[in-house]
Amino acid sequence: MAVMTNILQTDLKGLILKNPIMTASGTYGYNDEYDEFIDVSNLGAIVTKAISLNPRQGNKNIRITETKAGMINSIGLENVGIEKFLEEKLPVLKSKNIEFIMNIAGSSLDEYVKLAKICAENKIKAIELNVSCPNVKSGCIEFGVDENSLYELVNSTRQEYQGYIIVKLTPNVTAIEKLALSAQKAGADAISAINTLKGTQIKISCINGGIKKSIISGGYSGVGVKPVAVGAVMRISKTVGIPVIGIGGIETLEDVLEFMAAGADAVQIGTANFTHPDTAQRLVLELNEYITKNNFKNLDELKRKLRE
Amino acid sequence: MEQNLRQNAGRNQEDMLQEETKKIYKAKVSRIEKVSSSSYFIEIDCGVKVEVKAGQFISIYCEGLTFRRPFSVYSNENGKIGVLFKERGKGTNYIKSLKLGDMIDITGPLGNGFDIKNKKSLLIGAGIGSAPISFLKSKLDEIGIENLFACGFLNKNEIPTGMKIDKIYTDDGSYGEMGSVLNYLGVLINQFNPEIIYVCGPEIVLKTTYEIAQKYEIETQVAMEKVMACGIGVCRGCVIDIKKDGKIINASVCKDGPVFWGSEVVWQ
Repeated sequence: MAVMTNILQTDLKGLILKNPIMTASGTYGYNDEYDEFIDVSNLGAIVTKAISLNPRQGNKNIRITETKAGMINSIGLENVGIEKFLEEKLPVLKSKNIEFIMNIAGSSLDEYVKLAKICAENKIKAIELNVSCPNVKSGCIEFGVDENSLYELVNSTRQEYQGYIIVKLTPNVTAIEKLALSAQKAGADAISAINTLKGTQIKISCINGGIKKSIISGGYSGVGVKPVAVGAVMRISKTVGIPVIGIGGIETLEDVLEFMAAGADAVQIGTANFTHPDTAQRLVLELNEYITKNNFKNLDELKRKLRE
Repeated sequence: MEQNLRQNAGRNQEDMLQEETKKIYKAKVSRIEKVSSSSYFIEIDCGVKVEVKAGQFISIYCEGLTFRRPFSVYSNENGKIGVLFKERGKGTNYIKSLKLGDMIDITGPLGNGFDIKNKKSLLIGAGIGSAPISFLKSKLDEIGIENLFACGFLNKNEIPTGMKIDKIYTDDGSYGEMGSVLNYLGVLINQFNPEIIYVCGPEIVLKTTYEIAQKYEIETQVAMEKVMACGIGVCRGCVIDIKKDGKIINASVCKDGPVFWGSEVVWQ
């Protein structure tokens, strides 16, 4: 079932999408898993699971847990690695009428540069940098928490890759807008925000008088992070001139409108894909209907009105 | 406005269902009842015929919760899918509260079911793990594969009414023979001479069954359970270690499983 309309067309200044509803990295695999539930070509774009230079097995122990308003994950970027991605997953993505953005993750500047080079060679149209990875060379501090390392990372990537670069920012910083500015200066085409918040859950059970604890620390996502995300998007969009893609707890059309009012040009759906695999498709339809019903000319006009 | 949006959302989903059969259903609760001191049976009418293999599961959306809850299929009559569940927390508490006629949102059937072999089969279930094994038994009976279904419960009140079990064991001896079904596995194997064993229950039951079966050189299929987020192999949240081509790799319980060969699992 295709949405035959272009009123949702979204111009991200260098990347034109059929609509502003994307799916967030790590929640949509490499797309084919969702064929059984929806027509993936209805979506604005899908962002692939983070791809690293070498395959990664990910973390051991408990990887996911549900929280009151979302979930915590500690997957550890399990992925097939870029070689296998190019060989097995890319042809499938290319054979479909799907706009996809490749999310890449490195453990050193060098790895990001290599990944960017490979993306350029394979004519990947758009990439998203996961900058929440620890930089092994500087004591495992994440690239995305330091303005200078982020600048260096984005700038070095830019030199190897002329396509569209989205920088996905972590909220685990004091002033996210400063990092957004740094990414913009270094040549980013867009900012996506937010990645997961750092969180921990300790489940306690008492067995025969002894306390048993099950602890999981990782990235907190889902509906509970939405206010943090909306705030971040608002501050970023006031600071930078490049498009901003809002991510964080989006489940309903109201959420999408809220992010757009805060300055988002497009949005990504993450955790909600797990709860309802058709969330992103439903939002495309609802947004389309909302614009038509309220007699807006198109999405751009709606966004303008939302920001007045 | 909000109400309009919701109505529209509903309509869109219905349109989608009419156009193509995707593994997502708005389904009606057609039966819900307590079947033992701690377990319930719920039957969900999908409105269309759905093919389900024994060992496959459905995922139920529980209002207000992020994770759907997965349940092995216990019965399937022309798209009326039945599952057994125990009240364990918020999810099952929600499902327990459902009434006849309530519409719920399910995805499925998901995962790989048992790989049915035309071999004399010993079926082992423990507790609520008896559900997919009972469904498997009905499939084997249909095809005409000789089988024996042995099941262990805590006590007689835990045995689901209506489940057709050949041999019952209870920990307290209140029904059938006393003790864990695992204590009798060797005897069962010697008496019945199975060529294959299928098992579902707590992980320790799976592991022990596999280990005992291995001594008798009988192949075993085990149905695993894990907390799942997506249920479709995307999030990589429910992976276990399995052996493949001499290497240890990750397999997702939801998509690569939930049924595995006992010999490929790296037992913890």
